[in-house]
Amino acid sequence: MAKRIAIVEDEAAIRDNYTAAFRREGYAVDPYDARKPALEAFASRLPDLVVIDINLRDDVEGGFELCRELRARAPELPIIFLTARDSEFDAVSGLRLGADDYLTKDISLPHLMARVAALFRRLDALKEPQSGDSRITRGDLEIDTDRMNIFWQGHPVGLTLTEFWLVHALARYPGHVKNRQQLMDAAQAVLDDNTITSHIKRIRRKFIAVDPGFDAIETVYGMGYRWLTTSG
Amino acid sequence: MSLRRQLLLVSLLALLLPWAGCQFIRETESALRASQQQLLASTAQAVADSLTRYVDAFPPPALTSYAADDQLYGLALERAPVVDGFFDDWPLTAAALRTIDGPDGEIRYATGLHAGFLYVYVAVRDDDVTYADTASLVPSDRAPFADRVRLINATPPYLEEQISFAAEAPGVIIPYAQNAFGFAAEPAIRAVWQGMAGGYRLEARIPRNRLGTHLGLVIDDVAERDRPGTSQSSFRGDAPAPFVGRMPALQRAAEALAQPGLRVIITDPGGWRLADVDALAEGEPVDQSGVSRWLRFAYDAVVEDGTPSGLSEPDPAGREQQPYVASALSGNASAAWFRGGDGGNALVAVAAPVQLSGQLFGAVVLQKGTDAILSLRNQGLVRLMNVTMIAMFLVAGGLLGYATWLSRRIRRLSVAAASAADDTARAARLPSAGARDEIGDLSRSFSGVLAQLGAYNEYLRTLASKLSHELRTPLAIVTSSLENLEHEALDDAQRRYTRRARDGADRLRRILAAMSEASRVEELMNNVDTEVFSLDAAVRSAVGGYRDVYPDRRFDLAIAPGADCTVRGAPELLIQLLDKLVDNAVSFSRSGDAVSIDIASDTGAVRLDVSNPGPALPAAMRGQLFDSMVSVRPGDDATHLGLGLYVARLIAAGHNGRIEARDIDGGVRFTVWLPRAAAGDDT
Repeated sequence: MAKRIAIVEDEAAIRDNYTAAFRREGYAVDPYDARKPALEAFASRLPDLVVIDINLRDDVEGGFELCRELRARAPELPIIFLTARDSEFDAVSGLRLGADDYLTKDISLPHLMARVAALFRRLDALKEPQSGDSRITRGDLEIDTDRMNIFWQGHPVGLTLTEFWLVHALARYPGHVKNRQQLMDAAQAVLDDNTITSHIKRIRRKFIAVDPGFDAIETVYGMGYRWLTTSG
Repeated sequence: MSLRRQLLLVSLLALLLPWAGCQFIRETESALRASQQQLLASTAQAVADSLTRYVDAFPPPALTSYAADDQLYGLALERAPVVDGFFDDWPLTAAALRTIDGPDGEIRYATGLHAGFLYVYVAVRDDDVTYADTASLVPSDRAPFADRVRLINATPPYLEEQISFAAEAPGVIIPYAQNAFGFAAEPAIRAVWQGMAGGYRLEARIPRNRLGTHLGLVIDDVAERDRPGTSQSSFRGDAPAPFVGRMPALQRAAEALAQPGLRVIITDPGGWRLADVDALAEGEPVDQSGVSRWLRFAYDAVVEDGTPSGLSEPDPAGREQQPYVASALSGNASAAWFRGGDGGNALVAVAAPVQLSGQLFGAVVLQKGTDAILSLRNQGLVRLMNVTMIAMFLVAGGLLGYATWLSRRIRRLSVAAASAADDTARAARLPSAGARDEIGDLSRSFSGVLAQLGAYNEYLRTLASKLSHELRTPLAIVTSSLENLEHEALDDAQRRYTRRARDGADRLRRILAAMSEASRVEELMNNVDTEVFSLDAAVRSAVGGYRDVYPDRRFDLAIAPGADCTVRGAPELLIQLLDKLVDNAVSFSRSGDAVSIDIASDTGAVRLDVSNPGPALPAAMRGQLFDSMVSVRPGDDATHLGLGLYVARLIAAGHNGRIEARDIDGGVRFTVWLPRAAAGDDT
């Protein structure tokens, strides 16, 4: 049975374009143009994934409200914010509400499809028993590429998809400097320099929450970032 | 000239008021002095007129003319000196001695009168004293000769004789008189000759009635006994001038005029003192208790000085030669003001000629003690002047203060307006905005203009981010539509067109990203985590990156030796700032040029310079280089929005630093100052 994706987007042209794209990928799509009809529909049946715009016509923060209500009802439901708002503050708010990813509308359709597919893959992997062969280990770091989980010293680090891809890209070849363009490609996102900077900052903070002595991500000014293994 | 200077100059005019006050005091003082002198002068004139009754008591007019200098003057001696060859028992000071230039030095002499005797004292400098012998005791034209003192005694035309004093040895000597009748020893004359180092002294006592009306001294200096020596005399010419001394009749007349606090002197036409009565000290002492010391000091500084008080004293040698006396002796009554030595007292002096039918007989000199500052004698006047002075100083001070205050207000307004214009984001409230005068109006209209300017700049500043935000949704429609379109069956031509459309949309997206960068930086700046780090290490690593990115430019990094480049901030943002400056430097230089990056530390600040060869900054845009959406790049770079330097300024300002651009020789230099992190600040 095809996965069911709900799109809540007030801009008809975009909504239709995304609907068409998802359908082409074989998903079942339920488009909604506002919070209320979406909530009414979700009351009877929850979709497998929800893509929400924050600004829903007159309902300026409608996307956030919707995310909060959905999260309350279904803690495991994958939610992606897809919005024109690119401010740091909005991204942080969205992720704090429990969204799995925060994407701006700069993202290309193929990238969006890849993200959604990755998210579903993670869900599926979580349901299946652990295979073990999809793991990468770098010192204290352990990456499960199937479930897209990251462990540091055995403790899980709760990263969003974008953050996961960034860490994955850095840690795959420790010691190699990854520039911003490479990181952007890895995260399958269009991010400007400042966004990369704040992503890296957020990743460091999440690792530090687990291990206060964490310093494996090094900034190489003017070039990019690199992962340092703690072998020394 | 600045307004402040102008106001200062204008307010300096207020200093004219105290100056005028001083003038007023001076004028008052001279008027008061003049009236005092007037008063005394009329007394002097009255005395002079009354003395015309005593013209017989004055020395008779001379038959032949002579100079007053040639006269001998009999000083009035209070007691008789002992005739012993020494001057120290004379009741006089050494200042009373008159001098003649001799071949071996000064010859000093004095003549005095006491109780019918004339006393003569002569001290002669003579390297080689030649004593007389019996042959030379009396002067003659033949050898041998001897050193001698001769008193020429004459009553023209009847008597002409000389009394010769020569010594065979020091001690009492016998003088000889020589006249038309021959020689005669003069036992009535007592004379003593004393040797002294480098000369000799002679003292003699001669009965007054033995002498005539004209007297003179001649000193003969002989070096060898058989040759006549040289002679010096107290008079010029052949004949001596009339002898003059205190006149008893005039002295009595003067004593009759004497009153406490007054000094009376009567002189002959040559200024020789004929009579004098000094009752100055008997006057009432000047009362100075009513006036404070400082006031007296202040007035002292203002009023004109008189002649020094020492000059008011009667001449010790007997001849009054003060200018005002000399003026009286030439026929004009005259006055003088002598300043007291102790600051409190002064002496007013007048001289009036004694004349009878055009013939000058002498002069009367009156001197009277008084307060040095006459204005202070009058309490009312003192109060008036004090009040006037205080009022003048208050007015002057007030004007000066007002001018200072006014110029300060204007200066503060101008400084505030200038700084507000530089930083229009903060529409500051200007000083004096609440004032209800013209400066207040100026301040308010300034504020209005600045507020408008600030609003406009704020609009420009937010325009980019608003625009990028609003354009993002339609752009998403375009790109997603194109991407969907690409999944349809398209022929090659259609594919080409969609690819072009995609390229255009991509470019548009990049522009929008650049436009929103400034607002993202601002946002980051507000919640960035700062850390203390060394700027030079970060820059060194960044420059390595630039060498890879811009292979056709040389990058010269110079870090001043010993520079302390520890700053507090966000390293990524500061490197982003450097990125912008380097990007700018690369854009304005040509392939192969060197971009130099210099780091140095001043006191409290770290300086980062980025210099590149290239065209100078356009003068017209200089003030706006760092503003939003201002670009001075050549027209071929269409996608450049002029946000790079604006972002650079945002980052510098966010670190409490500042950024500046200026032309250097053949290029441009951007300089960033960042505050250095305080020592020990490592959190």
